Amino acid sequence: MNDLRDDRAIAVEALIRYLECRDQVSAYERNLLANLSMRFKAFGKGEELVVEHSRPNESCLVLSGFTGREVMLKDGTRQITAVHIPGDFVDLHALLLKLMDHSVVALTEVHAAYVPHQELVRISEAAPHLSRLLWLSTVVDGAIQRAWIACIGRRKPLHHLGHLICELSVRLNAVGLAPRHSFDFPVTQAQLADVLGMSLVQVNRTLQALRRTGLVSWKASTVTIHDFAALAELCDFDPIYLNLINEPR
Amino acid sequence: MPRYFIDSSDGRHSDIDKEGLELSDDETARRIALDALPDMARDKLPDGDERSFRVCVRNSDGSVIYRARLDLIDEWLDGRV
Repeated sequence: MNDLRDDRAIAVEALIRYLECRDQVSAYERNLLANLSMRFKAFGKGEELVVEHSRPNESCLVLSGFTGREVMLKDGTRQITAVHIPGDFVDLHALLLKLMDHSVVALTEVHAAYVPHQELVRISEAAPHLSRLLWLSTVVDGAIQRAWIACIGRRKPLHHLGHLICELSVRLNAVGLAPRHSFDFPVTQAQLADVLGMSLVQVNRTLQALRRTGLVSWKASTVTIHDFAALAELCDFDPIYLNLINEPR
Repeated sequence: MPRYFIDSSDGRHSDIDKEGLELSDDETARRIALDALPDMARDKLPDGDERSFRVCVRNSDGSVIYRARLDLIDEWLDGRV
């Protein structure tokens, strides 16, 4: 019972903290979020949170760990098209899309909350501003996707990897998980290859090249950016697409 | 599954694989090594320097069982250097 209450508190806090990165959340809206019905589930690395071609009737919020939006090709190769962090809804778009065109997989051990779509519809109708904030989160997902397409299509491997590290650091820092530009990112090189759309060997070479810049260390699963401004300059990272500005929406 | 080590070089930086990868067979190791060449070339070709991109696969005995090379030849044909 205690665990359940803790899960709920963690989920509500994570969601509010995420939404508050970009706007105020009123007491009324907080109350709506605090009373959402939800269920909780833990996933091992590689397990699917959302299954391709399914018709989910709930949306999934990450509480801890990292998830990847996964597109599988016929030949068995895959592209991770998005990485989600604690506080992110991984499939809010399923509320409107209905049929999933991709799956969402746990890149690490993951703890997640599932919120029924009917609950999301209910709070959206009760609080149009809250509805806009949820809409905003899918719009930001789209902005991140644009940045990733530019990275995959045009950036050099070192700049692509550095850009990803800058982005994760800024996103995690916004929800309190990357103090002093240091964060835990326990993924394998094979997973990183699928995120970056690079060959395994190229990922290894690019990690070495990143180390040679002296701007980042990656020991075990801890990534530490020693000079964020210099890394951002090197990789042409401009956080404007993350829209982490608290203003009325 | 057997362990394979895949080394690579772009003519400037060599990456000697110390950890290796557990792979199902030689052909999978060849595929992973070969996959690296276009990426390595894409990374460095804008420099326009003549260079060779190389990969090789070592098995767990340390024997090199496979290698591949991609060369960039870059030359003007009107007498310029």
